[in-house]
Amino acid sequence: MRQVACPPLDALMIRTQPARFFDRIVAWSLQLQLPGAVRYLIATALVVAIGWGRVLFVPDTLPWLLFIPATIGIALVMGKGPGLFAAVLSTATGIVSLGTLLHPTWVPRQHWVAASLFLIVMLGLVMLTAELRESLRRARRLNEELVESERQAVDRQAFLSSVLASSTDCIKVLDLNGKLTFMSEGGQRVMEISDFNEVAGCPWPDFWQDDGNGEAKNAVEAAKRGETRSFIGKADTYRGTPKWWHVAVSPIPGPDGRPDRILSVSRDITNLRASEEERDRFVRLAENSTDFIGMARTDGSVFYVNDAAKRLVGLDGTDITQLTIADFFPPEQVATVMREVLPAVERDGQWAGELDFRHFQSGELIPVLYSVFPVTDTTGALIGYGTVTRDFRERRRAEDDMRLMNGELAHRLKNVLAVVQSVAAQTLRGIPEAEAASQSLSARLVALGAATDVLTGTSWRSADLRELATRALSPHGRIGERILLSGPRVTLKPEVTVAFALALHELATNAAKYGALSNETGVVTLAWSIDGGGADATLAVYWRENGGPPVTLPERKGFGSVLIERSLRSYFSGKAATEYRPEGLVFELQARLRDAAIVIGN
Amino acid sequence: MGQRTPIGSRTILIVEDEALVRFDLVDFFTDAGWRVFDAEDADQAIAILDRHKEIRAVLTDVQMPGSMDGVKLAHYVRERFPPTVLFIVSGNAPIPESELPERARFLPKPFDSHKLLRQIESMAQA
Repeated sequence: MRQVACPPLDALMIRTQPARFFDRIVAWSLQLQLPGAVRYLIATALVVAIGWGRVLFVPDTLPWLLFIPATIGIALVMGKGPGLFAAVLSTATGIVSLGTLLHPTWVPRQHWVAASLFLIVMLGLVMLTAELRESLRRARRLNEELVESERQAVDRQAFLSSVLASSTDCIKVLDLNGKLTFMSEGGQRVMEISDFNEVAGCPWPDFWQDDGNGEAKNAVEAAKRGETRSFIGKADTYRGTPKWWHVAVSPIPGPDGRPDRILSVSRDITNLRASEEERDRFVRLAENSTDFIGMARTDGSVFYVNDAAKRLVGLDGTDITQLTIADFFPPEQVATVMREVLPAVERDGQWAGELDFRHFQSGELIPVLYSVFPVTDTTGALIGYGTVTRDFRERRRAEDDMRLMNGELAHRLKNVLAVVQSVAAQTLRGIPEAEAASQSLSARLVALGAATDVLTGTSWRSADLRELATRALSPHGRIGERILLSGPRVTLKPEVTVAFALALHELATNAAKYGALSNETGVVTLAWSIDGGGADATLAVYWRENGGPPVTLPERKGFGSVLIERSLRSYFSGKAATEYRPEGLVFELQARLRDAAIVIGN
Repeated sequence: MGQRTPIGSRTILIVEDEALVRFDLVDFFTDAGWRVFDAEDADQAIAILDRHKEIRAVLTDVQMPGSMDGVKLAHYVRERFPPTVLFIVSGNAPIPESELPERARFLPKPFDSHKLLRQIESMAQA
């Protein structure tokens, strides 16, 4: 409250303290509040005492002198009534004390004249003194009232000051030109102003940026006309902190009722606005997403879908509040959603998978990646389900295209293998020494082609060991009769698949030439197993021949053996060994599972 | 479109648009003692079949230029010349048996021609 002048404290002191001795006596007598009878008794006693005193000490030549101050004193201290009484009593006492029964008229005639004059003068003086006393009393009462009202004014002002100071709003008073004349203490704090004099007299609208400046000017003009305005604007504090404010501008009427000054109250809404902006951003994120975003209550009734969702399923113009989750799916998938998906969301916190949406107009099925999660309130209680669902049509098409491409690639690759096979055969044809080599090469190219088939079936990503073995071995003997396969499901990595297929081909070719498949009764067992777990799990593959002709050690190791042992050792980073047992050839391969296979789960 | 020395009833028509592969097959069957006709596409093949009723075996690729692919040709041959031994080869995915004519065999490319010869000879004798 620097701008409102307070009355100086010493002025109050002067008014509350009688300045003179005279005043002090009157003030003292006014406080005394003696009952009427007592006053008269005191007056009587005083006058009689003075009468006695006059007889004893004062010569008869001055009979009235002492009565004058006594009577005036009584009038001054005890008021008009006792004063008049004292005047009369003084006159009577004087006459009594002067006279004697010896004199026919008690006192000589000139004494009567003097007594009469004394009485008249004293009555006049008493009246005058009583008036003076009364006016002193009135002045004193007025003074007290004034002191009280001033005290009240100071209290009220102090209260208003503290209200203004403690408000966190920035409360300002402007003159009619929009210049700052006052700012509340709280306002100076939020505006980061340390000394109001730095901004006093500055045009208030200049504090506002952009649109706020125009708004502020308009508000000042409106206030001049007696109108109230409010607006939201951006303004930096005095130290440059950017803030958002809500401002109310209203006129302060002067004594004539017309706008005299302008009140402006600004509230810092920066945080509120920041949280609003943050919320708005999330709303826009959902609104502008190209994915299907929707929310439904726990009973399945839909309460929000974004524009992308409406476009995807053809919901333009439909009242979405009439829809339920089930309406979005073809009838055969509704049960899946209700019995599997939504319970999984409640149990696991989410569900994602491929389903189909149903187009509301055409009924067309739309492949989607449906991802659902719980929607909770601020206490964490489930209030519904939310989904961000991706249109999977493109992806499905791409997958189809990829399959076609893979097929085409495999086709061409195998045609090339066929051409290579033909060129090699024609190159070696007619050279008797190369006949056997030509046949081996041709058969190996066939095995390569078969391995390719297994890979392309899974888009070159992996190959099932059993399927690969079936393809590689079935040309050499009936699977399940001459060739027995046993082992768990193992998915080989693509980089080891071709080597493995070639090795199986070599083993089978060898068996057909010299081993268990070279007669009508021999049996080959291909068994594989996974031992151990985790990172150290091993894959063991056994090839055992039984029932073939007696085994003899080969004279030299050909390319077939190289393919079997060395290449497998290298590709599988493991151990590979061939053993020529009398009852039949045994081949064993051991490798870390993770080097050979795609390990799923644990 | 070549014609080799006829040896009994062992007569085969090879329909394959890839020349290098065709030459090899022609040489291979010729060496094996077969009389071999060859064609680049189905139209040529039909013309040859019409003129040479003695052809007992047809080996055809599936993908070929022209109005007919190998599968259609195989069906045509099965209807026109029912006793013919039919082999259909392709580098593409295997063709389901239901789409093949009766008593036709599918072979994935590349195939082992020695094994094929053994199969054809056993079937042709049957």
